[in-house]
Amino acid sequence: MGHLDIPVLETRRLVLRGPEPGDYPDFKATFASYRSRFMGGPLNPYETWMLYAAEIGHWEIRGFGMWMIHLKDSAETVGMAGGWQPAVWPEREIAWIIWPDKAGRGYALEATDAARRFFYTQRGWDGAVSYIDPKNLDSIRLAERLGAVKDTEARTIDGNDAVYRHPAPEALKNSQIADGIALEIGHYCDPLFKPKGWAID
Amino acid sequence: MQITLTIPELETERLILRGPKAADWEADAEFRTSDRAQFVGGPFTRMVAWRNFASRWGHWAIHGYGMFTVTERGSDAALGVVGPLYPDGWTEPELGWVLYEQAEGRGIAFEAAQAVRRYAYDVLGWTTAISYIDAANQRSRALAERLGCHAEPGAAHPFEDADIIVYRHPKPEVC
Repeated sequence: MGHLDIPVLETRRLVLRGPEPGDYPDFKATFASYRSRFMGGPLNPYETWMLYAAEIGHWEIRGFGMWMIHLKDSAETVGMAGGWQPAVWPEREIAWIIWPDKAGRGYALEATDAARRFFYTQRGWDGAVSYIDPKNLDSIRLAERLGAVKDTEARTIDGNDAVYRHPAPEALKNSQIADGIALEIGHYCDPLFKPKGWAID
Repeated sequence: MQITLTIPELETERLILRGPKAADWEADAEFRTSDRAQFVGGPFTRMVAWRNFASRWGHWAIHGYGMFTVTERGSDAALGVVGPLYPDGWTEPELGWVLYEQAEGRGIAFEAAQAVRRYAYDVLGWTTAISYIDAANQRSRALAERLGCHAEPGAAHPFEDADIIVYRHPKPEVC
């Protein structure tokens, strides 16, 4: 024991770092809010803190976990993304949550794309799923932008969630989906790009 | 990046209190999903039990202290958890303990609780400590009293809808 090593991932706009004690207030604010309703929330302070502490424990137990998403420019946090597989999860999940006031700028897409690439290329994952509440349309839309497809045959967590299966590493390589993700992230990085209409993560 | 996780080992006459290990999960899950967990807010689903389990590492990382797994010398099997506990919402840092069924009746919880109280006072520098105990949890109340604790009627605690007694431990000077 002594240290827990968590890799740091960088993307065009973001730095993904392991969850640190100082990031807890941002996490708490989101899990106290209605935003967390599809992630088992809203939670009381005790439950929120235990979940946050469990984010760190997940890295120790599984060897992977969720990163805190920081903006490169300001270091402020905008959400979390990464791998998630607590007890009773049938498969390894790519998961995300974006703070309510940070949605609509493509951060979740940029972070989950980087996390998935890391797991595929550095950790040898041969695939992943995302478990999504069927009412969580923003997340379903993100899963589809990531190229994930609803898998009606796959085991769910408890029957109340839909399973979205991500493209396997080979299928993703040099694919139209991969190009589309890069293009979309490029748009969000462009200061002149001011999307109107539906805000998406 | 590195997260510091320095967890000492505490030794007593019969026990070794060590940091959590992934292998402790099944024993802990058995307790947390059973009726035995009724006095700590359970029984819980396996999913919620796992959150509690995984949180132990985060607790050490965030506070620099946390729950120890209780083992007997010569065996690494988890018999329970004991240690200083201070999640969000707690009115003050607590000394907590949970003993699994197979370890009951041999004074193990008493021995372990004494060791972590000494650790909290001598190493962490605590000047006082409490334990939250469900009023119906007779065994745990008996242990608190054996440890010299006194109930503090009316003391604040975070459990709105539960009948909880706040036990105050004796001061460091008299332990």
